[in-house]
Amino acid sequence: MAEKTVDHEGQGMIRGLNWLGRKTLDIIGELGALAIFFCYGIILIFSLPFQFRKIIQQVYFIGVKSFLIISLIGLFTGMVLGLQGYYTLVKFGAEGMLGAAVALSLIRELGPVLTALMVIGRAGSSIAAEIGIMRISEQIDALDTMDINPMRYLVSPRMAASVIVFPMLTALFDVIGIFGGFLTGVLLLGINSGIYFNRIYDSVVLKDVTGGFLKSLAFALIVSTICCYQGYFTHMRSEGFGARGVSLATTSAVVISCVLVLVLDYVLTSFLL
Amino acid sequence: MKKYSQETLVGIFVLIGILCVGYLTIKLGKMELIGGDFYNIIAKFDSVAGLKPDSSVQMAGVEIGRVTKIDLDTKDFVAVVTMKIHKGVPIQEDAIASVKTSGLIGDKYISIQPGGSEELLKPGGVITETESAVDIESLISKYVFGNVK
Amino acid sequence: MNEPFIEFKDVSKSFGSLKVLDKANLAIYQGEITAIIGKSGAGKSVLLKHIIGLLKPDSGQILVRGKPLSQFTKAEWRHFKRSLSYMFQNNALFDSLTIFENIALPLVERTKMSAAEIRKRVMFRIEQFELGDVEGKYPSQISGGMQKRVALARAVVTEPTMILFDEPTTGLDPLRKNAVLNMVAHYQREIGFTGVMVSHDIPDVFFISNRVAIIENKKIAFQGTPLELEQSDDEVVWQFIHGQEVLQDQLTGLHSKFEVERALKQELDRIGRFQDVFSVVLFSVDSLEQIREKVGYIAAQRIFQCLGMTLRENLGTAGYAARFGPEEILTVIPQADATRADLIIKEIITECSRQELMNPESYRKVCLDFAIKAGIVEVRKKMRLEEVISLARKSQKVIAKLECDKGRGPV
Repeated sequence: MAEKTVDHEGQGMIRGLNWLGRKTLDIIGELGALAIFFCYGIILIFSLPFQFRKIIQQVYFIGVKSFLIISLIGLFTGMVLGLQGYYTLVKFGAEGMLGAAVALSLIRELGPVLTALMVIGRAGSSIAAEIGIMRISEQIDALDTMDINPMRYLVSPRMAASVIVFPMLTALFDVIGIFGGFLTGVLLLGINSGIYFNRIYDSVVLKDVTGGFLKSLAFALIVSTICCYQGYFTHMRSEGFGARGVSLATTSAVVISCVLVLVLDYVLTSFLL
Repeated sequence: MKKYSQETLVGIFVLIGILCVGYLTIKLGKMELIGGDFYNIIAKFDSVAGLKPDSSVQMAGVEIGRVTKIDLDTKDFVAVVTMKIHKGVPIQEDAIASVKTSGLIGDKYISIQPGGSEELLKPGGVITETESAVDIESLISKYVFGNVK
Repeated sequence: MNEPFIEFKDVSKSFGSLKVLDKANLAIYQGEITAIIGKSGAGKSVLLKHIIGLLKPDSGQILVRGKPLSQFTKAEWRHFKRSLSYMFQNNALFDSLTIFENIALPLVERTKMSAAEIRKRVMFRIEQFELGDVEGKYPSQISGGMQKRVALARAVVTEPTMILFDEPTTGLDPLRKNAVLNMVAHYQREIGFTGVMVSHDIPDVFFISNRVAIIENKKIAFQGTPLELEQSDDEVVWQFIHGQEVLQDQLTGLHSKFEVERALKQELDRIGRFQDVFSVVLFSVDSLEQIREKVGYIAAQRIFQCLGMTLRENLGTAGYAARFGPEEILTVIPQADATRADLIIKEIITECSRQELMNPESYRKVCLDFAIKAGIVEVRKKMRLEEVISLARKSQKVIAKLECDKGRGPV
């Protein structure tokens, strides 16, 4: 009887190990596929003839259409930073530092990260859904039969457009955020506007700015790759097919991109500092 | 018409984006578009505790340059600070460089007091007269334990 | 015939544990239209997708002019692919592009034609396929039939040497269906492309195809010309070409022709060994063609339905009944002598006479005579099958009759 139990436990353990091994292999395989997808997409951006018009269309879709929401989020982020920063700094009598606090937190962290998160929500999800629907309705196969490379036609322009759009939206976010801090700090709470801006000029160095842009470039690549990948391989999902597959692909595109953006942000910050 | 307006919007977007990027890098990041605006001088200090690359270099409270590099001279064990100074600002040979703090807990910066010599420092020249950073902690502890004279 | 253009050699393909093709062999010849027919889910689309490389075989090879696809260089493969067009079963139109952009896409993306030249070619196809009104609309805004035509226009706009049609006529009304088939046939004669067409439209598709292949049970069960197809006596093939009749037989509750023949053969075998007697009854409906012509297809069908249903009811599982010829029903009643068979027939006729079919009132518009005849053969000794049937035909006599009321005449 006792032996039997041991045997049973042993089997359970082997099953557990099997599961762990299978999951690990799955994840490694997925990462490999993602890496190949990424490289292929990047290489195809530079294939001739250059797809200028399609990149413009995607810049319009990912960038121009995110313009308002990014401005709005940037403004309020800056305003709340001004408010919070003021009440914290005033305890140390250092409210003059507000400009520096707002500008540095925006340029180094909040600008790239919040911009990436907003674009994931607005454009990333629709990229995944659009490509996913094209996959399940055989439009990608149709491209393939016409000898139009679907990766080149669908994925590369989106990657290129992201690389263009992300830093610009981040810069927009930063500038508008600094203005938002100005609104609360200077107009509402009465800090001298010269001190606010001079503090910003004094404390921000080029390394902060390039660091922020580096982050936003990294985010652009990771977000566009993940969202396109999830849509492109909708049909490979084992949990759901058809419309359900597309919805799952969209969800995982958003979730994975967000998580990776935050993880990558930590990694990059620790390298950049 | 539709395509035209889409392209126009993209154009406006890119323009605004570039303006913002430019503002951040050039105005805030103080990126030098044209090199040769500055010349380097060197100063040796006993201690530069708290000073960082890109700290401000001031004369009479006006910024005249930035710290570019801080090294340790392994022979004399002193700090070697390289600074870039705006071309238009002359520094005399006997000018005095000191590490100062803005406010009680503010950033460290280098203050240069002009000297009286006729000779000006050439690019790469060394300021010999320096004052090290005031160690506030030791000052406070001296005050607390009543050793201040 | 000469060397095939495309040849499948022992191609097998499974999806997970589901085997779709098992060592399928198929030859497609240049300049011909090959129709592939088979039940739904038999792997017809899978077969097509192998040609264009959307699917790769698990084992076996696909040869193009004798050269395996797997050995094609990149340039050769590209060249081959560019000479193909594929029309998808569900059209696979790009739903974020307009109809014009959809048709123009292959030209825009892979040729260096000027915009004006592209416009000219696309407009030509748009007019050819009567799509002028919807040029600027999106695929979801037009009807299913139009979508099919857009897909067809997109397939031919590149002037390919080979077109693979995946059910080009499914979901079209009969008129459009004929129009599409005509268009394919016309275009094929004009340009001489090689066509492979998966279709359910039996027998329409036979009229335009030079070759027919039937997929059944994961294999190519038959391939040959439509003429060879018609003369084939393979059961699977027969079921396909008489697909419509098979369906009707299900409606009338009759057996398939093969089953009855088999039963008759079996009974003939057993005679003298396990049983002494059985009867064969051959019904026929006189002037059925006339009914079809004057009253309609449904009325003619009803007569068979009535006979078939009552036969089934009376015979139960003991007997077999099936349509034998266009106007005949053959019945095998085991262990029954002529008297019993006669009894059964009488019962059936009374049953049928009660229905509106046999009532002159039902045919107001035409004046029409028709009669149901039956011939009974009592089999007591070994005979040949043909003998039994010709005997039955000879002994046919009228058992029910509907006479036109001359007084009324047609209204």
